[in-house]
Amino acid sequence: MRQPETLPQYFLQRVAMYDYPKEAIRQKEFGIWRTWSWQESYDMVRAFALGLMELGLTREGHVCSVGDNDREYLWAVLGVQASGAGVTGMFTDAISSEMEYIINHSDSSFVLAQDQEQCDKMLEIRDKLPKVRKVIYWDDRGLWNVEDDWLISFDEVCEIGRSVLPNSPNKFEEEIWKSAKDDVALISYTSGTTGLPKGVMLSHENLIEVVKRAADLDPRYDTDNHLSFAPLGWIVEYALGFAPHVIYGIIMNFPEEPETVRENIREIAPELLFYNARLWDQLLGLVQVRMNDATALNRWLYKTFLPVGYRMAEARFRGKTPGLGTQIANAIGDMLVFRPLRDQLGMVNVRSAITAGTVLSPDHMRWFHAIGVNLKQIYGSTEVCGGVIGHYDKDIKVASVGKPFPGLKMRVTPQGEIHLGGPTVMKGYYKNPDKTAEDLAVDPDGTRWFKTGDAGYIDEDGHLIFQDRLKNMLRLETGESFSPQFIEGRLKFSPYIRDVMAIGDETRDVVTALIIIDFGNVSHWAEKQGLGFTTFTDLSQKSQVYELISEAVTEVNRTLDDGAEVRRFVLMHKEFDADEAEMTRSRKLKRNVLAEKYGDIIEAMYDGSQEVNVKALVVYQDGSESVVETDVRVMSV
Amino acid sequence: MEQTHDPILSVEGVELSFGANRVLKNVSFNVHKGEIRAIIGPNGAGKTSLLNCMSGFYRPQGGRIMFDGNDVTTTAPHNIASLGMARTFQNIALYTGLSTLDNLMAARHIHMKQGTLASMLYWGQAQREEIRHREVVEEIIDFLEIEQIRKAVVGALPYGLRKRVELGRALALEPDLLLLDEPMAGMNAEEKEDMARFVLDIHERRGITVVLIEHDMGLVMDISDRIVVIDFGEKIADGTPNEIKVDEKVIAAYLGQEE
Repeated sequence: MRQPETLPQYFLQRVAMYDYPKEAIRQKEFGIWRTWSWQESYDMVRAFALGLMELGLTREGHVCSVGDNDREYLWAVLGVQASGAGVTGMFTDAISSEMEYIINHSDSSFVLAQDQEQCDKMLEIRDKLPKVRKVIYWDDRGLWNVEDDWLISFDEVCEIGRSVLPNSPNKFEEEIWKSAKDDVALISYTSGTTGLPKGVMLSHENLIEVVKRAADLDPRYDTDNHLSFAPLGWIVEYALGFAPHVIYGIIMNFPEEPETVRENIREIAPELLFYNARLWDQLLGLVQVRMNDATALNRWLYKTFLPVGYRMAEARFRGKTPGLGTQIANAIGDMLVFRPLRDQLGMVNVRSAITAGTVLSPDHMRWFHAIGVNLKQIYGSTEVCGGVIGHYDKDIKVASVGKPFPGLKMRVTPQGEIHLGGPTVMKGYYKNPDKTAEDLAVDPDGTRWFKTGDAGYIDEDGHLIFQDRLKNMLRLETGESFSPQFIEGRLKFSPYIRDVMAIGDETRDVVTALIIIDFGNVSHWAEKQGLGFTTFTDLSQKSQVYELISEAVTEVNRTLDDGAEVRRFVLMHKEFDADEAEMTRSRKLKRNVLAEKYGDIIEAMYDGSQEVNVKALVVYQDGSESVVETDVRVMSV
Repeated sequence: MEQTHDPILSVEGVELSFGANRVLKNVSFNVHKGEIRAIIGPNGAGKTSLLNCMSGFYRPQGGRIMFDGNDVTTTAPHNIASLGMARTFQNIALYTGLSTLDNLMAARHIHMKQGTLASMLYWGQAQREEIRHREVVEEIIDFLEIEQIRKAVVGALPYGLRKRVELGRALALEPDLLLLDEPMAGMNAEEKEDMARFVLDIHERRGITVVLIEHDMGLVMDISDRIVVIDFGEKIADGTPNEIKVDEKVIAAYLGQEE
């Protein structure tokens, strides 16, 4: 067999590899995990692909799909790609007008719509989808009585495919081998925060490269179990599940329902696990809450062995071997506490766990390593086919997003923009040559680069530090640029800081910050120090508390560029409050409101004052108002 | 599902009194095999009492209720389930300390044939029987989309889900006739819509005749084939939704009558 260079070609190779019924797919149905072999999978993909071609799918065609992660979705994607066409995934919660845009813009001739809910959306916009020949569903619940030949079931398509098979027994293989690595495998629409979504064209080579480069760090085997649950409107599941499935033969496990994912993860215990940063935070919170309710013995074990776990983690971050005593203690801790805990989280078999999205706080990162979860950050974007920068084992820096995977490249321009390069860079945006030319660059040696629009820098160890979107970066009078959100995020890593607003612009020479202490944690700390206080305002103005926060600021300043450090700060006498329009309900700062409201305090940080008198109007929940007067100190770092 | 005009259940001149209080006065109507039959009426009209008579829970002082050739007024309630009738309650009645799965499996009791000893040994025929019943129950779990609470203790579930489990338990009896006492009461719009879809699917896909009491008039008009209206223990109207909508007695009962 030729060396495969597209995903369906890998699929054929994989099918031919096993002369026994090796499990390819599992899905929980009626409470039981059922298994499908590679041969069964092959029969389905072939029938579906032949059926689609019979219905008129051409090699230049595109197919949009929307549905939950399940085996039919996987077979359909492979079937479409086997026919030489490209797939476009959509989110299940997309509204019909969003779908209309994507289906029409991608020139899709077929839509795969899992169930009644999705089919209803299609029927609603039917008149606006002139190019769509058929809508294919595979969950017939609620569609039993629909008599409309625009809709056709997955099984019916397969029936058509099987009926033409005797006449063209080799067509399936022939079509697959007609494809080349440069053909479009996937058009992934990015949720543009501004303007219309853009269709990112990813070739088979892009996907294969991203999978293989990631596997250089974290190998995948055909005995590995993968639980497929990341939404299929997004690149992640294709790069971590579908493509590695055909390239390395990892077993695809599909959850019973989207609601049962937690439970199913525990049953499957995957070797590689991807959650976004928020979910990791939630998991840690969940364990802490459960721990408080645990038996006294369990709490004692947890408290005793967690410090041992932390010592192990610290050593592992730096690639060092801890002392024998620590190793033995950790082995006992693992048996008594950590392993049962990992089992609860479905992480007993995890070799590598991945987080993406925002940078996870160092404390949380350390905690997962302490209980024996090898948690690593990755960074990337749809335009480079998912994650291309990440932590290597034994080289984990909690504040960085890691280094490029082997064979991939990154660079930071003098303007501070991160560029990602190598064979995973997309072919371009579908039907948008202007934007493609704007976002892609090609070196004389042929290396292709994607301009991410993200700001960051490379530290002394060659790790990438991601700061913010470039457009959110501000510049000081000195010309030094900084990211308020980055500074705020880093300061909030301190358990004693609840909220921060970083200040600075072209009229200011340094960065300053309004800091809100975390009342719970700081008062707990104060009690331990034997420090008496009355109210939030009183506690916030204690000189010891200023010292405490000053340490956290100094710590963060070490990671910031010279000239962009936080030089002065104020501990606010009250919390930012959504009721007073200082924040949005999702706790995002309303910067303009805050800058105006606390103008006096901000000026004091720039005119050399030691303290400033504030009169604050307090609005109580019953609508009554009163004025609180207090002095707030300014601290220089 | 195919509708026929063969009555599966007929209520014939039913009289029910609690002391001097005449709750049902000579009520007669029938339920055709394969229809969705709604019973409506203002609060305290006697709807639930009627349903309790139909399920054999109350014994009416007069008249009879024929279900599939049997007079349910003379049959013990625990034998009525085996005749092919199942019900849900206005106030959910489940084993709150058991899981969803166990609640549904318990309903399979009437279909189990193995003796106590064989079941305890869980071997051979008994094991095969248990697996067969589990399959039926799993199919209902899938049908009602309650996979995520399969092993959850019922008492800890939110109201809307408990209602669904109760419906599941009634289905696990594999009835020919299903009596639903206010299945959508206390639900929000989305839960109601889901429940309405389940009722329609039960009727269409599983071929079960449904009798339901419901307050949401819009919903009743949408999903029922025929409606019987009760007011102060008397039947005041009986007909299709369109007939009921324009019936003067019904309008008067619901909007109040000028004295």
